[in-house]
Amino acid sequence: MIIVPATTGQMGVLPGHVPTIAELKPGVMTVHEGTDVSKYFVSSGFAFIHANSVADVIAVEAVPVDHLDSNLVQKGLAEFTQKLGSASTDLEKAEAQIGVDVYSAMNSALTG
Amino acid sequence: MASAGAAGPFWRAAGMTYVSYSNKCASMVRNCLKEPHRSEALDREKVHFSISKWIDGKPEKPCKFLIFFLLSSPPFFLLGFLFIE
Repeated sequence: MIIVPATTGQMGVLPGHVPTIAELKPGVMTVHEGTDVSKYFVSSGFAFIHANSVADVIAVEAVPVDHLDSNLVQKGLAEFTQKLGSASTDLEKAEAQIGVDVYSAMNSALTG
Repeated sequence: MASAGAAGPFWRAAGMTYVSYSNKCASMVRNCLKEPHRSEALDREKVHFSISKWIDGKPEKPCKFLIFFLLSSPPFFLLGFLFIE
């Protein structure tokens, strides 16, 4: 079973899942293989679940959660929160918001 | 699944494409990796391309570029455009 971070919320996928295309938000993808659990942080992307119970998860970056450095995450979160406060144009606000979203997700992945 | 007729995600409302959004997120994740994964990942971010201007049907001498991060609105690329909601 896998749990993917879809934009509409955490989505669990088991064999026999209805064919779906889900857009992913930055977050943790959990893979349960028997009793083994592995967690990967996915930067964004898509999950395609096919009718034959094959699921593809496509992401630009997907890293095991223990490859993330929590100091860098904290620093980045503080930096982007500050940028969000001082942003003026729409594009700057959007970029700062993306930063806050991604870094908070990484933060919860590390602390959760 | 968003409400019909909504402006969509905030980044699209601000004029960003999905590809730029996705690449920005990926770049942020790469910057938070521990060594040695970080240097390997940042290498993956590098893009090499070569551009030549065409005048009167003939190409001028091409100039090579190496950029470290794809700009939000690269004028040189025809990116696959995926419309989300």
